[in-house]
Amino acid sequence: MRWVAGVAALGGVLLLGLALAAPHLAEGSPLLVVSTLAACVAVAALAAQPWLTRRRVPAHVRVGGVIAVLVAVHVLALVLESPDDALYSMSIDGPTRARMALFATILLAVVTLLGVLRRRLRWSAATWRFVHGSLAGGVVLLGVGHAVLIEGALDGWGTPVLLALGALGVVGVVVRLVAVLRAGDGARQGPTPRDGGATPHDRGRVPSADDGRP
Amino acid sequence: MPTTRTGPHPAAVVAVVLLAAMIAAALWNSDESGTGARQVGAAAPAPVAVPAAVPGASCAPTVTNPGGRNNYREDAPPDVPLGRGLVITGTVRDTACRPLPGVRVQVWLQTSLGSERENRTTVLTGPDGVYRVTSDPAVAQFGEPNVHVAHDVDDSPWASVWQRHVLRSDDTLAVVDLTLAAAS
Repeated sequence: MRWVAGVAALGGVLLLGLALAAPHLAEGSPLLVVSTLAACVAVAALAAQPWLTRRRVPAHVRVGGVIAVLVAVHVLALVLESPDDALYSMSIDGPTRARMALFATILLAVVTLLGVLRRRLRWSAATWRFVHGSLAGGVVLLGVGHAVLIEGALDGWGTPVLLALGALGVVGVVVRLVAVLRAGDGARQGPTPRDGGATPHDRGRVPSADDGRP
Repeated sequence: MPTTRTGPHPAAVVAVVLLAAMIAAALWNSDESGTGARQVGAAAPAPVAVPAAVPGASCAPTVTNPGGRNNYREDAPPDVPLGRGLVITGTVRDTACRPLPGVRVQVWLQTSLGSERENRTTVLTGPDGVYRVTSDPAVAQFGEPNVHVAHDVDDSPWASVWQRHVLRSDDTLAVVDLTLAAAS
C-alpha cells in the first residue's frame, strides 16, 4: 500500500502548493491560511486512511487522530476568522456546501469516538467495522464534496486533485469494507489469508467468531 | 459461546442506511447558497427600471434573510468608494411601491480591498429611490462571493432590514431592491 500513501502524499503536496499559490490566500488573513492548509492535509490523509487498515492499523489509528486535530483546527480557525459567517454556515439556513461540512464533521467525531471506544462497545468485529467504515466513507464523500463546492483557494486545478483524492478514499473504504466483511464471512472455516491484515488490531480485544478465531 | 452470525448486526445496517437517507434528504432540501439568498449579479450593466407606482398598488416588504446581518456594523462611513468594476444598486420603495428618496442604505461585501468586516459604506437614495455603490469585484467569502445591503437607522420612519445575496466574482452589476415597511 506504499503506492497509495505516495499518491495521497503527492495529492496533499499539490493541494498545499495550489492553495498557497492562489490569490485567495494571498489576500487572506493568517487564520484563513491556517484553516485552508489544515484542510488540505486532512483531505490527503483521509484518502490514505482506509488503505492503512490493511497491515498498517497502528498508523491508521495515529493518522485518524491527526485528521481529527486538523479538522478541529480548520473549523476553529474559521470561527475565529469570522464568527458570524462560521455560525451562519453551521446553522440550518447555511448553504449546501456548509451543511455537507457540518455533517462530515459530526460523522468524523462519531467515527473517531467509535475508534476510541472500540473495546468498550463490545460490538462484534463485523458490526464495528461496518459502522466505522461506512460512516468514514460518509466523511470522505461529504468532506471532499464540500471542498469541491467551495469557491476559493482550490478552484481550477485544485478541483481534479480533490476529486482524485476523494475517489482514492471512497474506493479504499469500499474495497476495505468488502475485504474485512468477507473475511468475517469466512470465520467458520477459520482465519483466511484474505483477512487483509485487519485482525492484528483486534488480537485479544474483540473475542468474536467474526474475527475468524475460535 | 460461539455465535453463528458473521455479518454486521441488522440493526447497525438499518441505522446506517437511515442515517445516510436523512443526510441525503437534508442536503437535497438545503438552498445552494443559503436559505433566502438569491443570485443578484449580472455580467453586463443594464438600466435599472423603476416602475411607476400605481395607485392602490401593494409591494411586499423585504424580509431580513438568514445571514443578512453577518458582519454588520452600524458605523459605515458615508459615500466611500469601494473600488471599481462592480456596481451595486437597487430601488428602495415603500409598501405602496412608491420610490423613497433620501433613505440611508448600507452596502458591505468582501473584495480584494478588504473583508466584509472592513469594506462598507452608507449611501442615500436619489430622487428616484435608487441607491448606487461602486466597488471592486466581489471575492468569495466562506465559499461564495456575496453582497449585503441593509437599511438600519435609529430614527428612521422605516423598519430595519438586512439582506445577504450572492453573485459571481466576474459580475459587474448586482441589483438588490428593498421594500421598506413603516417602523412600528
